[in-house]
Amino acid sequence: MDISQLLTNKSIPTVVAEKADPQTEYLFALVSDLSRDARYTEDKKLHPGKKQKKNQDIKMFAADSILFTKDALTIISPTEDSVRRIAFSDIQSVAVKRMYGNAYLKIEKKNEETEVILRFTYQITVSAEAAARYVNNVIAGEDYTEEVKTVQESYERLQCVCPNCGRTLLRPGATCIHCRSKRQIVSRLAKYVKPELKLLILCIVNCVITTTIALIPPYTNQMIVDDFVPNKNYKAMLWMVVFMFVAYVVHYGLMAHRSYLLRAAGNRIVMNLRSDVYERAQYLPMRFYDKTPTGSVINRISSDSLVIQSFILNISQNIIVQSMLLVGIIVIMLSMNWWLTLISLLPVPLVVVGSRIFRKKIAPYYRKIWRRWSAVTSLLTDTIPCVRVVKTFAAEKRAVNKFKEYNEDWRIMDTNASKITSIYPQAVNFLITIGTLAIWAFGGRMAMEEGSGLTLGTLVAFISYTSIFYNPINYLANLSDTYQNTLASVERVLDILDADLEVDDEDEGIKPKSVKGKIEFKNINFSFDRSKKVLSDVNFVIEPGDVVGIVGTTGSGKSTLINILLRFYDNYEGTIYVDDVDLKEYNPGAFREVIGYVQQEPMMFRDTIFNNIAYGRPDAQVEEVFNAAEIANAHSFIVKQPDGYDSMLGERGIGLSGGEKQRVSIARAVLKNPSILIFDEATAAVDSETESLIQEAIDRMISGRTTLMIAHRLSTLRKANKIIVMENGKIIEMGSQEELLAKQGKYYTLVQIQNMGSKQQAKEEV
Amino acid sequence: MSIRYIDCDEARIMPSETEYHVDLEWFGGETVKNLEAKRLFPVSGLFQYIALLDSSGKEVAIVRNIDHLMPESKKVLLAVLNEYYMVPKITKVLDKHDKFGVLKFMVETERGIRTIEIRNRHNDLKLMYEGRVLIRDADDNRYEIENIDALDRHSRSLLNGEI
Ligand SMILES: Nc1ncnc2c1ncn2[C@@H]1O[C@H](COP(=O)(O)OP(=O)(O)O)[C@@H](O)[C@H]1O
Ligand SMILES: [Mg+2]
Repeated sequence: MDISQLLTNKSIPTVVAEKADPQTEYLFALVSDLSRDARYTEDKKLHPGKKQKKNQDIKMFAADSILFTKDALTIISPTEDSVRRIAFSDIQSVAVKRMYGNAYLKIEKKNEETEVILRFTYQITVSAEAAARYVNNVIAGEDYTEEVKTVQESYERLQCVCPNCGRTLLRPGATCIHCRSKRQIVSRLAKYVKPELKLLILCIVNCVITTTIALIPPYTNQMIVDDFVPNKNYKAMLWMVVFMFVAYVVHYGLMAHRSYLLRAAGNRIVMNLRSDVYERAQYLPMRFYDKTPTGSVINRISSDSLVIQSFILNISQNIIVQSMLLVGIIVIMLSMNWWLTLISLLPVPLVVVGSRIFRKKIAPYYRKIWRRWSAVTSLLTDTIPCVRVVKTFAAEKRAVNKFKEYNEDWRIMDTNASKITSIYPQAVNFLITIGTLAIWAFGGRMAMEEGSGLTLGTLVAFISYTSIFYNPINYLANLSDTYQNTLASVERVLDILDADLEVDDEDEGIKPKSVKGKIEFKNINFSFDRSKKVLSDVNFVIEPGDVVGIVGTTGSGKSTLINILLRFYDNYEGTIYVDDVDLKEYNPGAFREVIGYVQQEPMMFRDTIFNNIAYGRPDAQVEEVFNAAEIANAHSFIVKQPDGYDSMLGERGIGLSGGEKQRVSIARAVLKNPSILIFDEATAAVDSETESLIQEAIDRMISGRTTLMIAHRLSTLRKANKIIVMENGKIIEMGSQEELLAKQGKYYTLVQIQNMGSKQQAKEEV
Repeated sequence: MSIRYIDCDEARIMPSETEYHVDLEWFGGETVKNLEAKRLFPVSGLFQYIALLDSSGKEVAIVRNIDHLMPESKKVLLAVLNEYYMVPKITKVLDKHDKFGVLKFMVETERGIRTIEIRNRHNDLKLMYEGRVLIRDADDNRYEIENIDALDRHSRSLLNGEI
């Protein structure tokens, strides 16, 4: 068979293909990227689209690979120059074991021997896991053709990257969000400029007029010196004064008008930009927030967008105007005296080259500065909201010191950058002055010589023009500075604007009004990152109306289970069905609407209690809210508040006790009238009296609804007709309470331990 | 229940039959086989506080400081840790590729040449003290630059601006 056509996670090295047995019917391959002694093996696809540098005296090996058939695996190792076949009949099980930055595939043989058969980096772990599942399932008697299909799906999902940018796509065939709208930065920003186009053009016209007026005075100087004064033509002089008076009125009037228009347009631009970033930020998947400090997100919305706005205005206005000014002056100067014009142009190349060098030097600083500034703001967003914790641990001094340290880092970097930014403009000014000095030297001499054609008036006008002339030059040369600074901001804003959203299209997918509540997890595997597996092979079916208790030690993956059901993380393997429809077919927002989710730490907004309860349904009637609060056992304590339902909560619900907040959040869930209810340790943080109040509320809510209840205190699971016991990301037991108790397994032990605890407590109380 | 520490000669650490694992023999003769050695401070303290875990992840003992172990034990433990923790040290940056927000470096490490793909340059590149840089790639593999200032000019210029 043709090995090169084989299903594989990455291309099979030729050495391996040569060593494979041509007669054998291989089904798929697993190719590593690491030798057994942890050296990287050759990788052909380094830079996409860019020629690889030859180099390299370092010897690289072809990758170790495993080829799978329906009843055996063959390990081909070019690094160790070996080929070995192991029949499935000798294998007990295969597993991937993660170390740190690398992992290995281990087989346990029937004769109790274990053996490491492949080593790889985290890049390969997911493929290796698929291969391991294949072997285990085939050994367990599953149909191998079906299992190969699963491997194929797994491989395809991993290889499903955008051919342009190499990012993983959500699913095969999806358009890459990055590249779909990926044009030049300017055109990305053009979207914000477009609505303002008419205004901006008006401003440019306006600006051309004012600039032209600004170009008149040197010319009048020439007339005064060469004509009016020598000829004592006072009348003409007066006429000119009148003319200039009118011109200046127009000039300043237009300037004021323009500055107003620009501000208005700019505000609209920044507002739209900010709203867009904020909107995108709302729809970003949890994954993004796990890794990005909120402070840095806030920073991008608040200040980066401002930088971009001023840049947009700058680009759209000044570049045009300044260029026109430049051309205009050069034409005027040339018409006055081409020889002097050439002299005054002499420093220009120097300025341009200087700005090149400057740009190169300054560019790295902007990112460095931002990085340090971002550290400062992250610290702020971290400590200011947690000020209570800081005080509790008397850690004010430490907080201050850390802040000072970060601040100092920022200061040093910014000061370093300012060395360059301060020297540069002065150097440019100096060059310009040299130009002016040269004109004095040459022009002065020419004006003194008879018959040179250069009058005194022309010289005076010329000198005035040179001083204006360097304004646009300076501006255009400095443009790179602002441009670099902005580029860094644009990059960060695009980071958000371009991040993968939860869905490509807000309206995509099924939008259920309600669901019956059948939930099925099929072969679910999940990890937040490649370094640790959080859920492995989770399978269960929950029928409509079931009340399911989920128990297990902390960190066993219970909340994660809920998180992926809520679609906070979509990159799991396997399929989840709700009402027999793949979860991914639903619109995430609409799906969450039908779920009532009560967390351990209820999140409150800085708003009234009423609005906090009605958060999910802003249109709720007053009495509906009362009703929900009553069901949640919250009404009675709210009534006792002096401000009743109008009581303002502080940030994150300050002003309510833990149990009270919990009841408000339950009321919030009740009001939604959800089809599926989820409680994630809803009573873990409250005293037993409050617990029974909350428990009562929960009992009232669950009738007729599919309910998932994560609980530490098993007593809260009285109503559960099904219990799922989790450990290390796996379901280790599942069934009704009676079944599990009869089984005398983990659940039984948990019950025993808690009973013992409460008996002891009872004894102590007596 | 309390944590059992190994300071120096309370126990002997021996090679295990299982790859990437060690066996432990207490001074009293009690032995525990097939333990995984895990650094408790894989970033900040490479040679202190190494936990030894059994196959269920339960901690059997903590080595306070590798340097205080008996020489033979130290050798065995270091060998295993060396395999377990793969944080290649970058000795040279060969090439940089920055497009569409994905940053790629082709680097030379002591384990060969590798292309590192960095998704989020703001979080995955970390500058520590004294020029040490920690890098995490898109697959959560780790890399390290021991001292960025000690790299050659070309490497530094490629890294410049990102860190
Ligand atoms: N956002 C996250 N990123 C990385 N790891 C996480 C994240 N959230 C949870 N984990 C890890 O996943 C495992 C399961 O966590 P979780 O589902 O919250 O456990 P529990 O059963 O206590 O609810 C834990 O080991 C935890 O460290
Ligand atoms: Mg939890």
